[in-house]
Amino acid sequence: MNYSVYDVQEFCEDIDFIRWVVSPTEELNQFWNAFLITNPSKSKDIQIAREYIKTLHFQEIEVEEEALTLLKNRIWNDINKPAIIIQWWNRPRYWVAAAVIFMVASFGMFWWNQDRQIYHTDFGQIRKISLEDGSVVTLNAHSSLRVAENLNELKVREVWLDGEAYFDIAKLNGAKFIVHTSEAEIEVLGTEFNVNTRRKKTKVVLHEGKVKLSVDSVQAVVMKPGDMATVLDRKKPIQLKIVKPEQYEFWKQSIIVLNDKSVSEVLEILEDNYGITIQFENPIILNKKLSGKLSIKSSDEFIQNFATILDAEFEKTEKGYFFR
Amino acid sequence: MGKDKLKPFEHATLWDNFRGGSDEAFSRLYELFSADLYRYGYNLVRNKQLVEDCLHELFLHLHNHRGRLGPTDNIQFYLYRALRRRLTDSVSKLNKLDSEDYIFDRAEFIIQPHESQLIDQQVLERQRKIVIIELNKLPKRQKEILYLVYMKGLTYQQASEVMDITMKSVYNTINVALTTLRKYLQESFKREGLLFLMFIISSISILLS
Repeated sequence: MNYSVYDVQEFCEDIDFIRWVVSPTEELNQFWNAFLITNPSKSKDIQIAREYIKTLHFQEIEVEEEALTLLKNRIWNDINKPAIIIQWWNRPRYWVAAAVIFMVASFGMFWWNQDRQIYHTDFGQIRKISLEDGSVVTLNAHSSLRVAENLNELKVREVWLDGEAYFDIAKLNGAKFIVHTSEAEIEVLGTEFNVNTRRKKTKVVLHEGKVKLSVDSVQAVVMKPGDMATVLDRKKPIQLKIVKPEQYEFWKQSIIVLNDKSVSEVLEILEDNYGITIQFENPIILNKKLSGKLSIKSSDEFIQNFATILDAEFEKTEKGYFFR
Repeated sequence: MGKDKLKPFEHATLWDNFRGGSDEAFSRLYELFSADLYRYGYNLVRNKQLVEDCLHELFLHLHNHRGRLGPTDNIQFYLYRALRRRLTDSVSKLNKLDSEDYIFDRAEFIIQPHESQLIDQQVLERQRKIVIIELNKLPKRQKEILYLVYMKGLTYQQASEVMDITMKSVYNTINVALTTLRKYLQESFKREGLLFLMFIISSISILLS
Protein backbone atom coordinates (compact mmCIF):
# COMPACT_ATOMS: atom_id res chain seq x y z
CA MET A 1 0.00 0.00 0.00
CA ASN A 2 1.38 3.33 -1.00
CA TYR A 3 0.16 5.61 1.78
CA SER A 4 2.21 8.56 0.52
CA VAL A 5 -0.45 9.25 -2.16
CA TYR A 6 -3.47 8.75 0.15
CA ASP A 7 -5.93 11.56 0.83
CA VAL A 8 -8.10 12.07 3.91
CA GLN A 9 -10.89 9.87 2.59
CA GLU A 10 -8.56 7.03 1.71
CA PHE A 11 -6.97 7.11 5.14
CA CYS A 12 -10.43 6.98 6.70
CA GLU A 13 -11.25 3.89 4.66
CA ASP A 14 -8.07 2.04 5.46
CA ILE A 15 -8.55 -0.56 8.17
CA ASP A 16 -4.96 -0.45 9.40
CA PHE A 17 -5.18 3.31 9.73
CA ILE A 18 -8.52 2.99 11.59
CA ARG A 19 -7.03 0.44 13.95
CA TRP A 20 -4.15 2.76 14.70
CA VAL A 21 -6.66 5.44 15.73
CA VAL A 22 -9.12 3.32 17.70
CA SER A 23 -6.81 0.77 19.32
CA PRO A 24 -3.16 1.59 18.80
CA THR A 25 -0.58 -1.09 19.40
CA GLU A 26 3.15 -0.57 19.67
CA GLU A 27 3.57 -2.02 16.22
CA LEU A 28 1.05 0.37 14.66
CA ASN A 29 2.53 3.36 16.51
CA GLN A 30 5.97 2.53 15.19
CA PHE A 31 4.75 2.14 11.66
CA TRP A 32 2.78 5.39 11.51
CA ASN A 33 5.38 7.47 13.32
CA ALA A 34 7.99 6.27 10.89
CA PHE A 35 5.64 7.08 8.03
CA LEU A 36 5.12 10.62 9.33
CA ILE A 37 8.84 11.21 9.56
CA THR A 38 9.42 10.15 5.98
CA ASN A 39 6.25 11.85 4.67
CA PRO A 40 5.85 15.12 6.59
CA SER A 41 3.61 16.53 3.85
CA LYS A 42 0.94 13.99 4.84
CA SER A 43 0.77 15.08 8.48
CA LYS A 44 -2.17 17.44 7.99
CA ASP A 45 -4.26 14.84 6.11
CA ILE A 46 -3.48 12.31 8.79
CA GLN A 47 -4.54 14.69 11.55
CA ILE A 48 -7.82 15.43 9.80
CA ALA A 49 -8.48 11.76 9.15
CA ARG A 50 -7.86 11.07 12.84
CA GLU A 51 -10.37 13.78 13.78
CA TYR A 52 -12.95 12.25 11.45
CA ILE A 53 -12.56 8.79 12.86
CA LYS A 54 -12.64 9.96 16.46
CA THR A 55 -15.86 11.82 15.75
CA LEU A 56 -17.55 8.51 14.91
CA HIS A 57 -17.90 7.68 18.56
CA PHE A 58 -20.75 5.81 20.20
CA GLN A 59 -22.03 6.01 23.68
CA GLU A 60 -21.00 2.95 25.66
CA ILE A 61 -21.61 1.81 29.20
CA GLU A 62 -18.95 1.18 31.78
CA VAL A 63 -19.33 -2.47 32.67
CA GLU A 64 -19.13 -2.99 36.40
CA GLU A 65 -16.39 -5.33 37.62
CA GLU A 66 -18.94 -6.80 39.99
CA ALA A 67 -21.39 -7.72 37.25
CA LEU A 68 -18.63 -9.49 35.32
CA THR A 69 -17.47 -11.39 38.39
CA LEU A 70 -20.99 -12.49 39.24
CA LEU A 71 -21.54 -13.59 35.67
CA LYS A 72 -18.23 -15.45 35.67
CA ASN A 73 -19.24 -17.29 38.85
CA ARG A 74 -22.56 -18.20 37.26
CA ILE A 75 -20.79 -19.61 34.19
CA TRP A 76 -18.07 -21.47 36.10
CA ASN A 77 -20.71 -22.83 38.44
CA ASP A 78 -22.59 -24.40 35.55
CA ILE A 79 -19.38 -25.78 34.08
CA ASN A 80 -18.35 -27.43 37.34
CA LYS A 81 -21.73 -28.87 38.21
CA PRO A 82 -21.12 -32.50 37.20
CA ALA A 83 -17.83 -32.70 39.12
CA ILE A 84 -19.46 -31.54 42.35
CA ILE A 85 -22.18 -34.17 42.22
CA ILE A 86 -19.63 -36.96 42.40
CA GLN A 87 -17.96 -35.63 45.53
CA TRP A 88 -21.06 -34.28 47.12
CA TRP A 89 -21.82 -37.18 49.50
CA ASN A 90 -18.29 -37.55 50.72
CA ARG A 91 -18.04 -34.13 52.30
CA PRO A 92 -19.28 -33.92 55.87
CA ARG A 93 -19.89 -30.22 55.72
CA TYR A 94 -22.50 -30.79 53.04
CA TRP A 95 -24.31 -33.05 55.48
CA VAL A 96 -24.31 -30.27 58.03
CA ALA A 97 -25.47 -27.80 55.42
CA ALA A 98 -28.17 -30.22 54.28
CA ALA A 99 -29.37 -30.69 57.87
CA VAL A 100 -29.51 -26.92 58.42
CA ILE A 101 -31.35 -26.39 55.16
CA PHE A 102 -33.80 -29.15 56.10
CA MET A 103 -34.48 -27.52 59.45
CA VAL A 104 -34.90 -24.07 57.97
CA ALA A 105 -37.09 -25.50 55.24
CA SER A 106 -39.34 -27.40 57.63
CA PHE A 107 -39.68 -24.32 59.77
CA GLY A 108 -40.53 -22.35 56.64
CA MET A 109 -43.09 -24.95 55.55
CA PHE A 110 -44.65 -24.86 58.98
CA TRP A 111 -44.75 -21.07 58.81
CA TRP A 112 -46.44 -21.02 55.44
CA ASN A 113 -48.22 -24.29 55.99
CA GLN A 114 -51.38 -24.36 53.93
CA ASP A 115 -51.15 -21.43 51.61
CA ARG A 116 -47.46 -21.05 51.09
CA GLN A 117 -47.96 -19.86 47.52
CA ILE A 118 -49.79 -16.70 48.49
CA TYR A 119 -47.89 -13.65 49.67
CA HIS A 120 -49.64 -10.78 51.31
CA THR A 121 -48.67 -7.38 52.69
CA ASP A 122 -50.49 -5.16 55.19
CA PHE A 123 -50.96 -1.42 54.99
CA GLY A 124 -47.60 0.30 55.11
CA GLN A 125 -45.63 -2.93 54.65
CA ILE A 126 -43.31 -3.50 51.68
CA ARG A 127 -41.94 -6.95 51.12
CA LYS A 128 -39.23 -8.39 48.89
CA ILE A 129 -39.95 -11.92 47.72
CA SER A 130 -37.44 -14.24 46.07
CA LEU A 131 -39.25 -16.76 43.95
CA GLU A 132 -38.07 -20.31 43.30
CA ASP A 133 -36.97 -19.49 39.76
CA GLY A 134 -34.62 -16.70 40.87
CA SER A 135 -37.01 -13.85 40.09
CA VAL A 136 -37.41 -11.13 42.69
CA VAL A 137 -40.74 -9.44 43.34
CA THR A 138 -41.07 -6.37 45.52
CA LEU A 139 -44.62 -6.32 46.78
CA ASN A 140 -46.04 -2.94 47.71
CA ALA A 141 -48.26 -2.41 50.74
CA HIS A 142 -51.76 -3.88 50.93
CA SER A 143 -51.20 -6.20 47.99
CA SER A 144 -51.19 -9.89 47.35
CA LEU A 145 -49.41 -12.18 44.97
CA ARG A 146 -50.35 -15.75 44.18
CA VAL A 147 -47.61 -17.90 42.69
CA ALA A 148 -48.04 -21.15 40.78
CA GLU A 149 -46.53 -24.19 42.48
CA ASN A 150 -43.18 -25.62 41.34
CA LEU A 151 -42.40 -22.47 39.41
CA ASN A 152 -39.01 -23.87 38.48
CA GLU A 153 -40.35 -26.76 36.45
CA LEU A 154 -43.06 -25.01 34.52
CA LYS A 155 -42.92 -24.13 30.83
CA VAL A 156 -45.13 -21.15 31.61
CA ARG A 157 -44.53 -19.49 34.95
CA GLU A 158 -47.68 -17.78 36.17
CA VAL A 159 -48.48 -15.37 39.01
CA TRP A 160 -51.61 -13.41 39.92
CA LEU A 161 -51.36 -9.89 41.30
CA ASP A 162 -53.76 -7.74 43.25
CA GLY A 163 -52.26 -4.39 44.27
CA GLU A 164 -48.86 -3.20 43.14
CA ALA A 165 -45.51 -4.91 42.62
CA TYR A 166 -42.16 -4.47 40.95
CA PHE A 167 -40.95 -7.52 39.04
CA ASP A 168 -37.36 -8.44 38.29
CA ILE A 169 -37.77 -11.63 36.29
CA ALA A 170 -34.99 -14.19 35.90
CA LYS A 171 -34.64 -15.82 32.52
CA LEU A 172 -35.18 -19.57 32.74
CA ASN A 173 -34.52 -21.79 29.72
CA GLY A 174 -36.94 -19.75 27.67
CA ALA A 175 -39.85 -20.39 30.04
CA LYS A 176 -42.39 -17.60 29.79
CA PHE A 177 -43.44 -15.59 32.81
CA ILE A 178 -47.00 -14.27 32.93
CA VAL A 179 -48.44 -11.80 35.42
CA HIS A 180 -52.24 -11.96 35.55
CA THR A 181 -54.32 -9.05 36.77
CA SER A 182 -58.06 -8.70 36.59
CA GLU A 183 -57.70 -6.50 33.51
CA ALA A 184 -54.74 -7.95 31.59
CA GLU A 185 -51.96 -10.46 31.12
CA ILE A 186 -48.33 -9.38 30.99
CA GLU A 187 -46.00 -11.81 29.30
CA VAL A 188 -42.22 -11.67 29.61
CA LEU A 189 -38.99 -13.59 29.20
CA GLY A 190 -36.63 -11.73 31.48
CA THR A 191 -36.98 -8.11 32.40
CA GLU A 192 -37.90 -5.49 35.01
CA PHE A 193 -41.23 -3.72 35.27
CA ASN A 194 -43.82 -2.31 37.64
CA VAL A 195 -47.47 -3.40 37.75
CA ASN A 196 -50.18 -1.47 39.56
CA THR A 197 -53.75 -2.81 39.69
CA ARG A 198 -55.30 -0.25 42.04
CA ARG A 199 -58.59 1.53 41.36
CA LYS A 200 -59.89 -1.03 38.89
CA LYS A 201 -57.22 -0.51 36.28
CA THR A 202 -53.89 -2.09 35.46
CA LYS A 203 -50.88 0.13 34.87
CA VAL A 204 -47.63 -1.39 33.62
CA VAL A 205 -44.38 0.58 33.48
CA LEU A 206 -41.47 -1.13 31.74
CA HIS A 207 -38.02 -0.42 33.16
CA GLU A 208 -35.84 -2.73 31.11
CA GLY A 209 -36.31 -5.42 28.47
CA LYS A 210 -39.51 -6.18 26.65
CA VAL A 211 -42.96 -7.37 27.61
CA LYS A 212 -46.13 -8.25 25.79
CA LEU A 213 -49.31 -6.97 27.33
CA SER A 214 -52.52 -8.69 26.30
CA VAL A 215 -56.03 -7.84 27.24
CA ASP A 216 -57.87 -10.45 25.22
CA SER A 217 -57.25 -12.57 22.14
CA VAL A 218 -57.35 -9.51 19.89
CA GLN A 219 -55.78 -6.69 21.85
CA ALA A 220 -52.05 -6.86 22.63
CA VAL A 221 -49.13 -4.45 22.62
CA VAL A 222 -45.39 -4.97 22.82
CA MET A 223 -43.88 -2.50 25.25
CA LYS A 224 -40.44 -0.92 25.08
CA PRO A 225 -38.50 0.44 28.06
CA GLY A 226 -40.01 3.71 29.31
CA ASP A 227 -43.53 2.84 28.11
CA MET A 228 -46.46 3.01 30.48
CA ALA A 229 -49.56 1.08 29.48
CA THR A 230 -52.92 1.60 31.14
CA VAL A 231 -55.80 -0.87 30.84
CA LEU A 232 -59.14 0.35 32.12
CA ASP A 233 -61.07 -2.77 31.31
CA ARG A 234 -60.86 -5.62 28.86
CA LYS A 235 -63.15 -3.95 26.35
CA LYS A 236 -61.39 -0.60 26.14
CA PRO A 237 -58.25 0.10 24.09
CA ILE A 238 -54.87 0.01 25.82
CA GLN A 239 -53.44 3.49 26.44
CA LEU A 240 -49.71 3.91 25.93
CA LYS A 241 -47.51 6.79 26.95
CA ILE A 242 -43.82 7.43 27.51
CA VAL A 243 -42.75 8.06 31.10
CA LYS A 244 -39.65 8.08 33.28
CA PRO A 245 -39.82 4.58 34.81
CA GLU A 246 -37.86 5.63 37.92
CA GLN A 247 -40.76 7.85 38.96
CA TYR A 248 -42.94 4.77 39.28
CA GLU A 249 -40.50 2.78 41.38
CA PHE A 250 -39.86 5.11 44.31
CA TRP A 251 -42.43 3.31 46.43
CA LYS A 252 -39.85 0.55 46.86
CA GLN A 253 -37.89 2.98 49.03
CA SER A 254 -41.07 4.19 50.80
CA ILE A 255 -41.02 7.46 48.90
CA ILE A 256 -44.07 9.11 47.39
CA VAL A 257 -43.42 11.13 44.25
CA LEU A 258 -45.63 14.20 44.23
CA ASN A 259 -44.50 15.59 40.87
CA ASP A 260 -47.45 16.60 38.70
CA LYS A 261 -49.87 14.81 40.97
CA SER A 262 -52.90 16.52 42.40
CA VAL A 263 -53.67 16.31 46.10
CA SER A 264 -56.51 13.89 45.39
CA GLU A 265 -54.15 11.52 43.55
CA VAL A 266 -51.82 11.52 46.53
CA LEU A 267 -54.77 10.77 48.78
CA GLU A 268 -55.55 7.68 46.68
CA ILE A 269 -51.98 6.44 47.13
CA LEU A 270 -52.20 6.98 50.89
CA GLU A 271 -55.48 5.12 51.08
CA ASP A 272 -54.35 2.23 48.85
CA ASN A 273 -51.01 1.62 50.49
CA TYR A 274 -51.24 2.86 54.03
CA GLY A 275 -54.94 2.87 54.82
CA ILE A 276 -54.66 6.53 55.74
CA THR A 277 -57.61 8.81 54.95
CA ILE A 278 -57.50 12.58 55.07
CA GLN A 279 -60.52 14.89 55.11
CA PHE A 280 -60.19 18.49 53.99
CA GLU A 281 -62.08 21.45 55.33
CA ASN A 282 -61.57 23.20 52.02
CA PRO A 283 -62.11 20.72 49.14
CA ILE A 284 -60.61 23.12 46.57
CA ILE A 285 -57.20 22.01 47.79
CA LEU A 286 -57.85 18.58 46.26
CA ASN A 287 -57.13 19.91 42.77
CA LYS A 288 -53.88 21.60 43.73
CA LYS A 289 -50.83 20.27 41.82
CA LEU A 290 -47.79 19.30 43.84
CA SER A 291 -44.10 18.77 43.21
CA GLY A 292 -41.19 17.06 44.93
CA LYS A 293 -40.89 13.79 46.85
CA LEU A 294 -41.81 12.79 50.38
CA SER A 295 -40.60 9.91 52.49
CA ILE A 296 -43.28 7.82 54.13
CA LYS A 297 -41.12 5.55 56.29
CA SER A 298 -43.08 6.90 59.25
CA SER A 299 -46.68 7.93 58.66
CA ASP A 300 -46.68 10.55 61.45
CA GLU A 301 -43.72 12.30 59.93
CA PHE A 302 -45.34 12.12 56.50
CA ILE A 303 -48.56 13.75 57.68
CA GLN A 304 -46.56 16.48 59.37
CA ASN A 305 -44.58 17.23 56.19
CA PHE A 306 -47.62 16.93 53.96
CA ALA A 307 -49.46 19.49 56.10
CA THR A 308 -46.48 21.83 55.88
CA ILE A 309 -46.44 21.60 52.09
CA LEU A 310 -50.16 22.39 51.93
CA ASP A 311 -49.81 25.09 54.55
CA ALA A 312 -52.51 23.44 56.67
CA GLU A 313 -53.16 22.62 60.31
CA PHE A 314 -54.20 19.04 61.04
CA GLU A 315 -55.73 16.99 63.78
CA LYS A 316 -56.12 13.26 64.25
CA THR A 317 -59.68 11.97 64.05
CA GLU A 318 -61.32 8.62 64.53
CA LYS A 319 -61.13 7.76 60.83
CA GLY A 320 -57.81 9.42 59.98
CA TYR A 321 -56.82 13.04 59.75
CA PHE A 322 -58.59 16.33 59.30
CA PHE A 323 -56.77 19.16 57.49
CA ARG A 324 -57.90 22.77 57.82
CA MET B 1 -11.56 -2.49 22.81
CA GLY B 2 -9.40 -1.55 25.77
CA LYS B 3 -7.58 -4.65 26.89
CA ASP B 4 -7.66 -6.37 23.56
CA LYS B 5 -4.21 -5.75 22.18
CA LEU B 6 -3.46 -9.26 21.03
CA LYS B 7 -1.70 -9.80 17.75
CA PRO B 8 -3.30 -12.19 15.26
CA PHE B 9 -0.93 -15.03 16.06
CA GLU B 10 -1.62 -14.55 19.78
CA HIS B 11 -5.34 -14.79 19.07
CA ALA B 12 -4.72 -18.02 17.18
CA THR B 13 -2.56 -19.46 19.96
CA LEU B 14 -4.96 -18.54 22.76
CA TRP B 15 -7.87 -19.96 20.78
CA ASP B 16 -6.02 -23.19 19.99
CA ASN B 17 -5.02 -23.62 23.65
CA PHE B 18 -8.63 -23.15 24.64
CA ARG B 19 -9.82 -25.64 22.01
CA GLY B 20 -7.18 -28.04 23.27
CA GLY B 21 -8.88 -28.03 26.68
CA SER B 22 -6.92 -25.45 28.70
CA ASP B 23 -9.08 -23.96 31.46
CA GLU B 24 -6.54 -21.21 31.90
CA ALA B 25 -7.02 -20.16 28.27
CA PHE B 26 -10.78 -20.22 28.82
CA SER B 27 -10.46 -17.89 31.84
CA ARG B 28 -8.24 -15.62 29.84
CA LEU B 29 -10.80 -15.45 27.03
CA TYR B 30 -13.37 -14.30 29.54
CA GLU B 31 -11.05 -11.71 31.07
CA LEU B 32 -10.06 -10.29 27.70
CA PHE B 33 -13.39 -10.18 25.95
CA SER B 34 -16.33 -10.24 28.37
CA ALA B 35 -16.45 -6.49 29.12
CA ASP B 36 -16.21 -5.55 25.46
CA LEU B 37 -18.85 -8.09 24.47
CA TYR B 38 -21.06 -6.76 27.24
CA ARG B 39 -20.77 -3.23 25.84
CA TYR B 40 -21.59 -4.38 22.32
CA GLY B 41 -24.48 -6.47 23.62
CA TYR B 42 -25.87 -3.56 25.58
CA ASN B 43 -25.77 -1.35 22.51
CA LEU B 44 -27.64 -4.08 20.64
CA VAL B 45 -30.51 -4.60 23.07
CA ARG B 46 -30.32 -2.13 26.01
CA ASN B 47 -31.23 -4.91 28.41
CA LYS B 48 -28.54 -5.91 30.88
CA GLN B 49 -30.23 -9.08 31.95
CA LEU B 50 -30.70 -10.32 28.41
CA VAL B 51 -27.06 -9.52 27.65
CA GLU B 52 -25.87 -11.36 30.74
CA ASP B 53 -28.02 -14.38 30.00
CA CYS B 54 -26.76 -14.56 26.43
CA LEU B 55 -23.13 -14.19 27.53
CA HIS B 56 -23.75 -16.93 30.07
CA GLU B 57 -25.11 -19.25 27.38
CA LEU B 58 -22.40 -18.25 24.93
CA PHE B 59 -19.45 -19.00 27.21
CA LEU B 60 -21.06 -22.20 28.43
CA HIS B 61 -21.60 -23.27 24.84
CA LEU B 62 -17.99 -22.43 23.94
CA HIS B 63 -16.70 -24.45 26.88
CA ASN B 64 -18.88 -27.48 26.25
CA HIS B 65 -18.23 -27.60 22.50
CA ARG B 66 -14.62 -26.50 22.44
CA GLY B 67 -13.47 -29.69 20.74
CA ARG B 68 -15.74 -28.97 17.79
CA LEU B 69 -15.05 -25.26 17.25
CA GLY B 70 -13.18 -24.06 14.17
CA PRO B 71 -9.94 -22.06 14.23
CA THR B 72 -9.81 -18.25 14.25
CA ASP B 73 -7.16 -15.57 14.35
CA ASN B 74 -9.60 -12.90 15.49
CA ILE B 75 -11.44 -13.99 18.60
CA GLN B 76 -13.18 -10.66 19.04
CA PHE B 77 -14.84 -10.96 15.65
CA TYR B 78 -15.74 -14.60 16.26
CA LEU B 79 -17.40 -13.77 19.60
CA TYR B 80 -19.18 -10.67 18.27
CA ARG B 81 -20.80 -12.75 15.58
CA ALA B 82 -21.81 -15.44 18.06
CA LEU B 83 -23.21 -12.95 20.57
CA ARG B 84 -25.19 -11.04 17.97
CA ARG B 85 -26.80 -14.23 16.71
CA ARG B 86 -27.73 -15.30 20.21
CA LEU B 87 -29.21 -11.93 21.08
CA THR B 88 -31.19 -11.75 17.83
CA ASP B 89 -32.52 -15.26 18.48
CA SER B 90 -33.54 -14.44 22.04
CA VAL B 91 -35.26 -11.27 20.98
CA SER B 92 -37.16 -13.00 18.19
CA LYS B 93 -38.20 -15.75 20.60
CA LEU B 94 -39.58 -12.97 22.77
CA ASN B 95 -41.56 -11.63 19.88
CA LYS B 96 -41.32 -12.91 16.35
CA LEU B 97 -42.63 -9.77 14.74
CA ASP B 98 -39.89 -7.23 15.18
CA SER B 99 -36.53 -8.56 16.33
CA GLU B 100 -34.77 -6.47 13.67
CA ASP B 101 -36.62 -3.42 14.92
CA TYR B 102 -35.27 -3.95 18.33
CA ILE B 103 -31.60 -4.60 17.57
CA PHE B 104 -29.26 -1.58 17.94
CA ASP B 105 -32.36 0.57 18.27
CA ARG B 106 -31.16 2.82 21.02
CA ALA B 107 -27.44 3.16 20.34
CA GLU B 108 -26.37 6.76 19.75
CA PHE B 109 -23.35 8.67 18.57
CA ILE B 110 -22.03 11.03 21.22
CA ILE B 111 -19.54 13.83 21.19
CA GLN B 112 -16.30 12.49 22.47
CA PRO B 113 -14.18 15.18 24.08
CA HIS B 114 -10.62 14.94 22.82
CA GLU B 115 -7.83 17.35 22.18
CA SER B 116 -7.16 18.48 18.70
CA GLN B 117 -3.85 20.04 17.91
CA LEU B 118 -5.20 21.46 14.71
CA ILE B 119 -8.17 23.53 15.40
CA ASP B 120 -9.94 26.26 17.25
CA GLN B 121 -11.79 24.08 19.77
CA GLN B 122 -15.00 26.11 19.86
CA VAL B 123 -15.56 26.00 16.13
CA LEU B 124 -14.81 22.31 16.08
CA GLU B 125 -17.18 21.59 18.98
CA ARG B 126 -20.01 23.38 17.22
CA GLN B 127 -19.34 21.57 13.95
CA ARG B 128 -19.11 18.27 15.74
CA LYS B 129 -22.51 18.74 17.36
CA ILE B 130 -24.06 19.20 13.94
CA VAL B 131 -22.28 16.12 12.61
CA ILE B 132 -23.45 14.01 15.54
CA ILE B 133 -27.04 15.07 14.97
CA GLU B 134 -26.72 14.18 11.28
CA LEU B 135 -25.06 10.85 12.01
CA ASN B 136 -27.71 9.92 14.54
CA LYS B 137 -30.32 10.28 11.81
CA LEU B 138 -28.78 7.35 9.91
CA PRO B 139 -30.72 4.07 9.93
CA LYS B 140 -29.64 1.86 12.79
CA ARG B 141 -28.15 -0.82 10.55
CA GLN B 142 -25.79 1.79 9.11
CA LYS B 143 -24.96 3.02 12.58
CA GLU B 144 -24.08 -0.48 13.65
CA ILE B 145 -21.73 -0.86 10.70
CA LEU B 146 -19.95 2.36 11.67
CA TYR B 147 -19.82 1.19 15.26
CA LEU B 148 -18.15 -2.09 14.33
CA VAL B 149 -15.66 -0.55 11.92
CA TYR B 150 -14.79 2.77 13.56
CA MET B 151 -15.08 1.92 17.21
CA LYS B 152 -14.22 -1.74 17.30
CA GLY B 153 -11.79 -1.85 14.39
CA LEU B 154 -13.36 -4.78 12.55
CA THR B 155 -12.57 -5.14 8.85
CA TYR B 156 -15.34 -4.55 6.32
CA GLN B 157 -15.52 -8.26 5.69
CA GLN B 158 -15.85 -9.05 9.39
CA ALA B 159 -18.48 -6.37 9.93
CA SER B 160 -20.53 -7.77 7.04
CA GLU B 161 -20.30 -11.28 8.49
CA VAL B 162 -21.22 -10.20 12.02
CA MET B 163 -24.32 -8.47 10.72
CA ASP B 164 -25.09 -10.93 7.94
CA ILE B 165 -25.14 -8.29 5.21
CA THR B 166 -23.31 -7.75 1.93
CA MET B 167 -19.92 -6.06 1.61
CA LYS B 168 -21.60 -3.58 -0.70
CA SER B 169 -23.81 -2.22 2.07
CA VAL B 170 -20.73 -1.83 4.27
CA TYR B 171 -18.91 0.18 1.57
CA ASN B 172 -21.98 2.32 0.93
CA THR B 173 -22.42 3.11 4.59
CA ILE B 174 -18.79 4.07 5.07
CA ASN B 175 -19.18 6.40 2.11
CA VAL B 176 -22.31 8.04 3.46
CA ALA B 177 -20.65 8.64 6.81
CA LEU B 178 -17.47 10.10 5.34
CA THR B 179 -19.48 12.37 3.10
CA THR B 180 -21.40 13.67 6.10
CA LEU B 181 -18.18 14.24 8.02
CA ARG B 182 -16.60 16.07 5.09
CA LYS B 183 -19.65 18.21 4.48
CA TYR B 184 -19.86 19.51 8.01
CA LEU B 185 -16.31 19.39 9.27
CA GLN B 186 -14.38 20.63 6.26
CA GLU B 187 -15.44 24.27 6.72
CA SER B 188 -13.68 24.45 10.04
CA PHE B 189 -10.59 22.78 8.68
CA LYS B 190 -10.44 25.24 5.78
CA ARG B 191 -10.44 28.18 8.14
CA GLU B 192 -7.90 26.40 10.24
CA GLY B 193 -5.70 25.90 7.19
CA LEU B 194 -5.29 29.66 7.05
CA LEU B 195 -4.40 29.90 10.71
CA PHE B 196 -1.95 27.07 10.24
CA LEU B 197 -0.28 28.95 7.39
CA MET B 198 -0.08 32.14 9.45
CA PHE B 199 1.45 30.17 12.28
CA ILE B 200 4.16 28.86 9.97
CA ILE B 201 4.85 32.29 8.51
CA SER B 202 5.15 33.84 11.95
CA SER B 203 7.47 31.05 13.13
CA ILE B 204 9.66 31.61 10.09
CA SER B 205 9.77 35.36 10.62
CA ILE B 206 10.77 34.81 14.24
CA LEU B 207 13.52 32.49 13.10
CA LEU B 208 14.75 35.00 10.54
CA SER B 209 14.82 38.01 12.83
